[in-house]
Amino acid sequence: MKTVLDLNQLNDNILKVKALLIELEASASSFPALSRNSKRALASVKMMELNLCDLVTLGLTDHPLSSNP
Amino acid sequence: MLDQEYWNPVLETLPREKLKVLQFKKFKQILTWAYTRSKFHKALYDKAGLTPDDIRSFDDIKKIPKVEKSMMREIQNKDPFPYGDALCVPLEEVSVFRQTSGTTGQPVYQPDTWQDWEWWSECWSFILWAQGYRPSDRVFLPFGYNIFVAFWAGHYAAEKLGCEVVPGGVLDTQSRILKIMELKATAMMATPTYVLNMADVAKSKMGIDPATLSINKITCAGEPGAGIPSTKRRMEEAWGAKVFDHSGATEIGAWSYECRKQPCGMHVNEAMFLVEIEDLETGEIIEEPGRKGKMVITALDRIAQPCIRFDSKDIIEWDSESCSCGRSFRLIRGGVLGRADDITKVKGVLISPAAIEEVVRSIDGLGDEFEVVVDKQGDVDRIKLKVELLPEITQISVENRLKDQLRLKTNLGYQIEYYNYGSLPRYEAKAKRFKDLRKKDTAQKEGRP
Ligand SMILES: [Zn+2]
Repeated sequence: MKTVLDLNQLNDNILKVKALLIELEASASSFPALSRNSKRALASVKMMELNLCDLVTLGLTDHPLSSNP
Repeated sequence: MLDQEYWNPVLETLPREKLKVLQFKKFKQILTWAYTRSKFHKALYDKAGLTPDDIRSFDDIKKIPKVEKSMMREIQNKDPFPYGDALCVPLEEVSVFRQTSGTTGQPVYQPDTWQDWEWWSECWSFILWAQGYRPSDRVFLPFGYNIFVAFWAGHYAAEKLGCEVVPGGVLDTQSRILKIMELKATAMMATPTYVLNMADVAKSKMGIDPATLSINKITCAGEPGAGIPSTKRRMEEAWGAKVFDHSGATEIGAWSYECRKQPCGMHVNEAMFLVEIEDLETGEIIEEPGRKGKMVITALDRIAQPCIRFDSKDIIEWDSESCSCGRSFRLIRGGVLGRADDITKVKGVLISPAAIEEVVRSIDGLGDEFEVVVDKQGDVDRIKLKVELLPEITQISVENRLKDQLRLKTNLGYQIEYYNYGSLPRYEAKAKRFKDLRKKDTAQKEGRP
């Protein structure tokens, strides 16, 4: 059986992580270990955006796996 | 999760009309990015009288001027050093350097940000997942880890998937085979030439049958071989493994892959790339299957040195069939069929080195290696084919079949030279088996270097 995904919820969570990392990177500019790791993590978050968020933004997510209308 | 067929179950099955919407949006985005950040791209588009706002529909994309490798060579070695005006990010954002191999001229430098590097390995993750790589795999990478991108991103993608990665860098071929045996590696990535070369070394120098080793899948890149049925068969039989094709390039990224269904072709990753096929003579964009043309490609998400309508010179054609794996990404039939630079006329007939390879490797008594030399005898083209006979195979037993197949598949008569097994050059990465001496002859006659 296929797992149904709440794509909008997944999208929201990705954007929340992104916002937190942006904030962390900015606020830890004098703390290289935190700011550089945040920047690096943001590159990974970007990959999640490419994999999902662009579709949600364009309203292209009425997919068989999606629970969203 | 592990039985999931797709790396991205949404993107890889997205209906085609939605894929086009996504591609168009991303194309405009990367075009605007390059136009506003790179003097090179701005000048190129200004000269054509175009701005990103002029691209209003998918059909408008073909108005955007193509970028050739030679243009990249001209702008490099200048500030911001060494990349020049195509760089779209501050130099301190560049975290990775690679360069092209320089087989077609001066190498081109390729800067990538860390995000770009993540993107490289993301594209490779689509490939490896589709080919059945899973966290339980122990992946051996027998390539020179250096300035060439080769399988670097495959390494990072395999790590991302959770595989165990064994970097088989500065080892000779025999040591690599021993390491595969010692660690019971299950997967490997290499050029077709090297996959065959390793098998040959294992058998002839070490007395090891590679099919008895633990490798069950091999991902190829760098040459068309894994898409050539006879070469694929030789590799699969030698290693007792599934062999999968993939295509990528330093300036482009990892843009296509064969899936586990092995549909005699590769899926274009259309979520990350826009591939157009251009008629070699008219320049018209080919939409229909079965017509060969030159690939013009855009990497939709690469930001440091964007790749927008890059004239790749790869010859491909759309497949008329869809794949039983369920991916909606289009298939290119037979993978990359050759390079526009290599497709040449001999005695007025268009030939591709891949067609000759398909014939040679379909003849059981011949070795894997061969060489094609085109020159002139007086004013007439001459094409010479050098092949190796396997031990205990006589010329007479293969001669007629080879000649007939060559005539049938390439429409040409060849001067065939037979060599003992092991006499022709062996290669560790990309092979140089096709030599066209006619241009050299003409240059010498005209006193040019
Ligand atoms: Zn498929």
